[in-house]
Amino acid sequence: MVAWGAATLAFFLLYLSGDPVDLLLPLDASPEARAELRRAYGFDDPLYVQYGRYLWKLAHGDFGVSLRSQEPALPLVLGRMPATLQLAGAGLLFALLLGIPAGVLAALKKGSFLELLVMVLALLGQSIPVYFLGLVLIMVFGLKLHWLPISGYGTLRHLILPTVTVGTFVTASIARLTRNGVLQELRSDYVRTARAKGLHERVVVYKHALRNAAIPVVTIVGLQLGALLSGAVITETIFAWPGMGRFVLLAVEQGDFPVVQASVIVFALMLSLVNLAVDLAYLWLDPRVRYA
Amino acid sequence: MQKRWWVFLAAAFLGLAFARGDTLVIAQGVDATTLDPVNHQETPTGNVTANIFDNFYRRLPDGSYEPWLGEAKALDDLTWELSIKPGIKFHNGEELTAEVLKFNFDRLLDPKKPLKYSTYFKPIKKVEVTGKYTLKVYTEKPFPLFLTRLTYLWVVPKAYIEEKGADYFANHPVGTGPYKFVRWVKDQEIVLEANPDYWAGKPKVKRVVFRPIPEASSRVVELLTGGVDIITNLSPEAVPTVEGSGVAEVRSVPSIRNIFIILDVKGEGPLHDPKVRLALNYAVDKEAIVKHVLGGFGVPVGCPLNPYMFGYDEELCKPFPYDPEKAKKLLAEAGYPNGFTFSMSAPSGRYLNDRQVAEAVVGQLKQVGVKVDLRIKEWSSYVKQILNRKLDTDAWMIGWGNAQFDADNTLFTLLYGGTVEGGPPQTKFSYWKDPEFDKYVLEAQQTVDQEKRKELYKKALERVRQGAPWIFLHQQKDIYGVAKRVKWQPRPDELLWAFDMELVK
Repeated sequence: MVAWGAATLAFFLLYLSGDPVDLLLPLDASPEARAELRRAYGFDDPLYVQYGRYLWKLAHGDFGVSLRSQEPALPLVLGRMPATLQLAGAGLLFALLLGIPAGVLAALKKGSFLELLVMVLALLGQSIPVYFLGLVLIMVFGLKLHWLPISGYGTLRHLILPTVTVGTFVTASIARLTRNGVLQELRSDYVRTARAKGLHERVVVYKHALRNAAIPVVTIVGLQLGALLSGAVITETIFAWPGMGRFVLLAVEQGDFPVVQASVIVFALMLSLVNLAVDLAYLWLDPRVRYA
Repeated sequence: MQKRWWVFLAAAFLGLAFARGDTLVIAQGVDATTLDPVNHQETPTGNVTANIFDNFYRRLPDGSYEPWLGEAKALDDLTWELSIKPGIKFHNGEELTAEVLKFNFDRLLDPKKPLKYSTYFKPIKKVEVTGKYTLKVYTEKPFPLFLTRLTYLWVVPKAYIEEKGADYFANHPVGTGPYKFVRWVKDQEIVLEANPDYWAGKPKVKRVVFRPIPEASSRVVELLTGGVDIITNLSPEAVPTVEGSGVAEVRSVPSIRNIFIILDVKGEGPLHDPKVRLALNYAVDKEAIVKHVLGGFGVPVGCPLNPYMFGYDEELCKPFPYDPEKAKKLLAEAGYPNGFTFSMSAPSGRYLNDRQVAEAVVGQLKQVGVKVDLRIKEWSSYVKQILNRKLDTDAWMIGWGNAQFDADNTLFTLLYGGTVEGGPPQTKFSYWKDPEFDKYVLEAQQTVDQEKRKELYKKALERVRQGAPWIFLHQQKDIYGVAKRVKWQPRPDELLWAFDMELVK
């Protein structure tokens, strides 16, 4: 269902922009060459015929052939997925490892300078555009300090700057949400009860309060994964990261329809998998959901 | 624990200082789309394949060509004889023979499976092997562009493709060229290694790596930090940074691309009058545009051609001098003493500072009383308007590359008005009708004698000079950032041919 919706949307949005033959050939190509190419790709058929053929092929697992490289579109897209997943995964890990402790800290030290610092940094992290952050990191850690490679793929060191770039926004949102969540939970009755029982403060915070505060955080992580993936488009371009985002961007610019369609479908399926994972995480975190 | 961290950090820093050594790294904006040398349309792809393959004729840095894998000779208007240098071998040991060359032509001419370069060889009717190293090529009509088109004939191996298939070949190419293919990791790198047995001599650079880096500023930083040796399409804004770096420098070369404004799209109104069009040419200060808008990276030119192209004429291509008084006088003579208004389209981000160039032209025309309603267009919709002749303005700015290095692909394609009876109709880019001009360019298409063709183009250029169908602006320069250790001068055809390059200590 999701795949069909995404496929249909991808199809019609692309075809609204007109057929890509004009962009595929150089300006001085002959009208015959254009007509030939149009025929070869079936762009001269009525739209409904093209749509039907497209769905029929999709149903048989045929995503078409890239207009640029003449290779099947789906493997081209899937081949670039590991790099994107690696980047998104590293970004998420970075965000969780940094955002949750920072949020808890801010909540526990409410009113202190530390809280102010965390909140200001989080605000900055949420408002700074990805491409700007990426360029600043390149300037500082690549050009000035010569510490880290600024483009390319392969080693752990290549992963550091792109991870920070793509993960900063999510880190900031997680930090703010965690702080708010923990603060709210700490004010609630069960925490008072737990404290009254004489439980150690650390147990109160980490075992009780944080677990309940985690539900909105998990939700936001699920939602942010979309942001993470779209941030990957820009990040991959800046750092020459060989992922899907950069590949799709180029395909859009070049009017490579089959590649764009295949990646829209892959992205849609990926996001629905993430939503499923988020729902499953609720079950684990909140017994009420399990029994309902 | 702590100790281990230090070791890790030290290793990380040492890793940074790794030397490229004998490897030359070239960064382009995008990856290759295929490694089949005759089935692509993009310069970045051609730059990689040019190092793996040889073309039958080779382009020289001044735009002319010379025999490379062999020679071609016109026997009559419709027949060419090709002879191949004996003893040339592909990287897999296969020998280059007439049979192999015929396979190359047949592959390009196969109507069932057209390749992107097929269009360059369309007039060929049939190819016949006449000896181990000789063959004859028959054409349907006189084909004066045959020799220049032979620079597009990048020769591929027959046995290898027949055995492994075209798809495998496109990812694991085997050629006769100076570099052997090592590996291609998509969107990361293409690695080539010197072919020590190259028939034209041993390449000086041992290893060449092509890396796609899409973001322009990342390319600059890689160059400055020593990650790459050559970057393409350096923006004029980045020039001072690169020049001041101490490790790299800026090198540029006038390109094959001219920038100009096509006038009189609607065939009526003031622009219909040649006097008005001449006035506009005198009213634009090309020198100032090149100096201030392009940072010096351009050469003013006064005709549709540039010095690399066959048919260029120095006298007839001199830039129109900047003379606003003369412009005003011509406008008054044409009946527009107080100027007039017209509309103009221009792209943004397609050519070197294109939008700013258009704005400068608008500003200068205002000085002589001509007001321009400038409309900046997004490239893909602009292309559609151009191709479908649906431009909504009276004039449009465009750049023309002419990879044929021959007047035909500019004069005919952009200016032929379709006035010759029985001849082809007006081309889709032409908004000018000059019967004499049309006659000359059409005759040149049928003339194999190159001296005669040159005369015809001279006459055609005289008509252009008088009719001024465009505002002629400049020839663009290509700008590269190059590490100081690389001995190499950029070429007008944008080719990054490592056989031309050398690393110095």
